[in-house]
Amino acid sequence: MRRALDDAGLKVSDIDGIISRGPDDIYTHHQAMGRRLGINATYSTSLDNGGASQCVAVGLAVMAIDAGLCTTVLCGYGRDSWSRTHASQDAHLQAALVPQDQRPHEFAPEYGYFGAVGMHALAARRHMHEYGTTREHFAQVAITFREHALRNPDAVMKHPLSRDEYFAARFIAEPYGLYDCSLLSDGAGAVIVTSTERARDLRAPPVLIKGFGAFNNLRGWIADRNMIETAARRSGEAAYRMAGLGPEQIDTAQIYDCFTGWVIAQLEDYGFCAKGEGGPFVASGALRLDGQLPANTSGGQLSEAHVEGMLQIVEAVRQLRHTYSPDRQVEGAETALVSGHGGTLVCHSTLVLGACT
Amino acid sequence: MSDIPEMPVPEPSPETEAFWAAAREERLLVPRCDACGFNWFPPALACPRCASEHYSWVEASGRGTVFTFTVYHRLYDGAFKNKIPYVVAVIELEEGPRLISNVVGIAPEKVRCDMAVQVVFDSRRDGIKVPQFVPIEK
Repeated sequence: MRRALDDAGLKVSDIDGIISRGPDDIYTHHQAMGRRLGINATYSTSLDNGGASQCVAVGLAVMAIDAGLCTTVLCGYGRDSWSRTHASQDAHLQAALVPQDQRPHEFAPEYGYFGAVGMHALAARRHMHEYGTTREHFAQVAITFREHALRNPDAVMKHPLSRDEYFAARFIAEPYGLYDCSLLSDGAGAVIVTSTERARDLRAPPVLIKGFGAFNNLRGWIADRNMIETAARRSGEAAYRMAGLGPEQIDTAQIYDCFTGWVIAQLEDYGFCAKGEGGPFVASGALRLDGQLPANTSGGQLSEAHVEGMLQIVEAVRQLRHTYSPDRQVEGAETALVSGHGGTLVCHSTLVLGACT
Repeated sequence: MSDIPEMPVPEPSPETEAFWAAAREERLLVPRCDACGFNWFPPALACPRCASEHYSWVEASGRGTVFTFTVYHRLYDGAFKNKIPYVVAVIELEEGPRLISNVVGIAPEKVRCDMAVQVVFDSRRDGIKVPQFVPIEK
């Protein structure tokens, strides 16, 4: 929060709105944020759309400002997942991430159906079955994002990932192995949303919020074709429509990469390639910095850190400001798409951002 | 091995008590809407298609197909220590609804999407039984 304020050249007292999210078991997170900042707010709330929340927060901030409820909104997320699961030997702490009352009591534990990896593995398997997607395609996502992480000094993962290492790694829940899964991270991020007029007077060059959208498959993860044809499609259509742009005009994508296969499915549903062609699309090198659609240029949640999509917004802003040296910068980036995904895997959100010229 | 916890059992809710009571008798029930005839799962107190609160429990054939599946290698619950690797699947019943279950009685590497399966019941503590699925021999 402090760094976002400094970046914008704002004082804490300039903030009159907070939209935030913390770990799953932190109730009324925005209240804790306001207390720590020592401010009251004319509009504040915390969100519970899981990893979709962060893009939702930015969209909600725009709506709150547009409605005249506030002028300057802090959107932030932070959590201590790594400390909770790795700081001690007590593996039971991992379970503490989800409060007892929120855990499924039937139709899951009696079958050994636990955790996000297994839930997403179901989607990956069906995608492979219907479209011929392979673990070679998944590997391409993991390896490409790792290459991006090596150029990012803040990334957690510091070593290249080879194809051999990818395939030698243990399975967690097939078809997903270790390197198909995003990291467990302690981390936080924040962005400040204000009117374009006000933003032009601030210290750092602003990035324009050109469109946002959300779609939630509330009928459930295993219902309909929700795990195959993701809510990225409807969420993206809404964001593209608002922005007046289409997938062919997006210069860089920061995709919610909780798992490798979910990146492939979203790329299809955002229209960056035809449905079912996501595997060959990533295998073509499209997601590399010099590719057709440079994606997750910070290393993403697979190799930078998993901060529930917040760092994907931060990275899009930095790319659109052209803050990086040429080895990390998407050349000529004018537009970026950011995706969010989460809840019980049914919530999706999208931002379309643009450089301020 | 006495150090392995007993297999977990479902904790029924008011919406699912009838389902689990029938499972003890090795019957697989699904709710069917009295108004529109829709079958759904998991059980809930109103039809998700027409919102009618009038429904009946009907016995499913127990036949279905594997919509998708995953093979767990990581141990999340010590009770499954001797089960790994085991298959968790989304089963699509002939009657339409989908449910989470296990595919058993087959090597995990031989399980396929769209494979035909039939319900069996796995006995847990206190007479509780859990529906699982085995391949239908062709």
